[in-house]
Amino acid sequence: MRNLKINLAASLSVFMLLTSACSSGGTGNKPAASPPPTTAENKPAQTGFDWKQFSGQKISLLANKQPWITTLEPHIKEFEQLTGIKVNTMIFPEDQVRQKALISLQASSDEFDVFMSLKSREGLQYYNSGFYENLDGYVTNAKITSPDFDVKDFFEGPLNGEKIKGNLVGLPINVEGPVLYYNKELFQKYGAEVPKTLDEIETAAKKIVDGSKGQIHGVTLRGLPGALPFTFGNFIYNNGKTWFDDGKPNFQDPTRIKAIQQYADLAKKYGPPGVVQYSFYQSSALFAQGKVAMEIESTNELNSIIDPKNSRVIDKTGVVPVPPGPGGSKLTQLQWGLSINKFAKNKEAAWLFMQWATSKEMQLEMALNGIASPRKSTWDNEKFKSSMDTPLKQQWVEALKFIMANANPDVGPPAEDQAQVRQLIGEMVDKVILGDKTAEEAAKEADAKLTEVLNKK
Amino acid sequence: MSVPSSRTSLTRLAPWIMVLPSVIFTVLLIGFPIVYVIYLMFTKWAPGSSFWGLPFVGLDNVKATFKDVLFWKSTWITLKISAISLFFEVVLGTYLGILLSKSVKGIKVLRVLFFFPAIVPSVAAGMVWVQLYDPSLGFLNYVLQTFHLPAGTWLNDPESVIYALSIVDIWQWTPFIAMIVLGGIQALPEDPYEAAYMDGASKTQALFYITLPMLKQTILIALMLRSVDMLRIFDTIYVMTQGGPINSSTSLNIYGYQQGFLYTSMGKASTAMLFLLLIVMTISFLLTRWRKRYV
Repeated sequence: MRNLKINLAASLSVFMLLTSACSSGGTGNKPAASPPPTTAENKPAQTGFDWKQFSGQKISLLANKQPWITTLEPHIKEFEQLTGIKVNTMIFPEDQVRQKALISLQASSDEFDVFMSLKSREGLQYYNSGFYENLDGYVTNAKITSPDFDVKDFFEGPLNGEKIKGNLVGLPINVEGPVLYYNKELFQKYGAEVPKTLDEIETAAKKIVDGSKGQIHGVTLRGLPGALPFTFGNFIYNNGKTWFDDGKPNFQDPTRIKAIQQYADLAKKYGPPGVVQYSFYQSSALFAQGKVAMEIESTNELNSIIDPKNSRVIDKTGVVPVPPGPGGSKLTQLQWGLSINKFAKNKEAAWLFMQWATSKEMQLEMALNGIASPRKSTWDNEKFKSSMDTPLKQQWVEALKFIMANANPDVGPPAEDQAQVRQLIGEMVDKVILGDKTAEEAAKEADAKLTEVLNKK
Repeated sequence: MSVPSSRTSLTRLAPWIMVLPSVIFTVLLIGFPIVYVIYLMFTKWAPGSSFWGLPFVGLDNVKATFKDVLFWKSTWITLKISAISLFFEVVLGTYLGILLSKSVKGIKVLRVLFFFPAIVPSVAAGMVWVQLYDPSLGFLNYVLQTFHLPAGTWLNDPESVIYALSIVDIWQWTPFIAMIVLGGIQALPEDPYEAAYMDGASKTQALFYITLPMLKQTILIALMLRSVDMLRIFDTIYVMTQGGPINSSTSLNIYGYQQGFLYTSMGKASTAMLFLLLIVMTISFLLTRWRKRYV
């Protein structure tokens, strides 16, 4: 089936609209290929853009094992056909990719040309170290940028997220943001209301935990220190604050204390045991088993939650953006991006690959497989719209649109030492969850530690 | 004296030339990293900086490390988890080794089966145990609840995480000790036993007065091999808890990894790693001396 698809795909180059809309959205199932559209012409002939100009060169891609690369990989052959550029992929889990990238870049190695990078995490550090190739000159260079590329088609949020100090250093490949998944069946059974404000999450959780005599957990969220800020940040924003006051940590501010307490109470009173070590993987597994009524997680988790292989909640799930608080609604918007290694040998060939991988056609292909697109054109595409054919998927699209319209790009506080700063914030909240410290004590300790880290430079 | 001098010198040089490849290899593979780690300890490294020629900062990194509460906590955690695991591994391993030395039907199959955990890669074992330990969906708590026993939070609780990790290590390495002990038992001479049974010794007496004293050497070698490995524990913890919850399972190796690769404080990471090297060397030195007393 897959081979047939690739063979067909190789025979055309413009419209890669091969896969018919796949209703389950899972990355695992490849629907049968539809015959290539008869109107398809060759790209070079149509646009005059020379895709073959770097034919014979080799590039390497370093990517994290996640749905994006799983969906892209079968199509890489098409890119090789189109350009004559040979692509070598290196795929590892996220943590290992981060280490490998750092060690390689540190050694000014050219072992990969294109790599996946999370600007909100290591962006500033890599930028200051001179690891990213600046792409502004590439986008404006008509010789190596196809007229079809259309950089204006990207949403402002994700594209700005790929800029550091005004310089474009990457291209977005997805968008994600924090949402509240809820189990409709459990809500109905125990008479809980879908939360409309931050405070109501606790109300609903309490109702379900009391109603089920503790058999069902109220809510699951992130507890693993390094991962926690992504979901916790929204409690700060929606209470009307940002991470820091004028670049200085001040978690002892009453509003932030309230946010810490709110998050910790949800985890402690209504969360699963051991939630301090939870990340998206554990939360989604628990939710998919129907053992918890709500999950605060990324939009990206949709596919894990409704994975036909191990989910019991496929038709019972609803999703809304993380509800607003007294400060309205400002939600963390996150995008993964592709960047070019400053030390790479074949940067222009790498740029062709980036264009192709983030092209309208490829982003649509990704979106049909449940990866939210950073391009506007995808969302207006009829094929995409018709693939969002369940109430849950429609809710999911609405949630994403809402997040992009009310975006806050700061996953963590503005600091170069993102990893350490996030770890400290996570530990602060975890100490309150475990009851080791009160919110005030934990905040005081965290402020002191954070100040120390920020002054280290 | 009729032999040309060049040949004598060649004969004298021959052994040196023969070991040269391995000497060069050792120097490059072990010597150089240690030198560079010491270099990093006294300099300020940042992402993007060059390989050599880093700014010299004296004892700043060492001071920063020794002032770090987490560093001492990690040292304590390393010693604690090692002590717990080693104690049970040696006791259970010796017991298991003696049991496996009995000649009963099907013992060969049993030996292979018991050795199985030791050949499973730590990472794979860790991933399986994470699933077993999961507080809500894990098999372990499911079994406990079936028998109306209280469920544990295992890896997800600062109080219990060290013990949960020790259980995995004990499960994985007890067979290894058992195999070494078994080898020792099979090499024991028969005569002392015959003499003892002639004098009317019981089986228990034979075990405590003959077998165990004669096995002391073997057990100490096993302990030494395992302790050097155990103090450097990394893979199981990295896979199962990443040092959490709230640094309750941060061994020195995990601490070094976090400082170096997550927080890019190579100076602190190097200091911690040299400190760990010192601990490992001290402990193996003590064990070696202890062993020699029984020779």
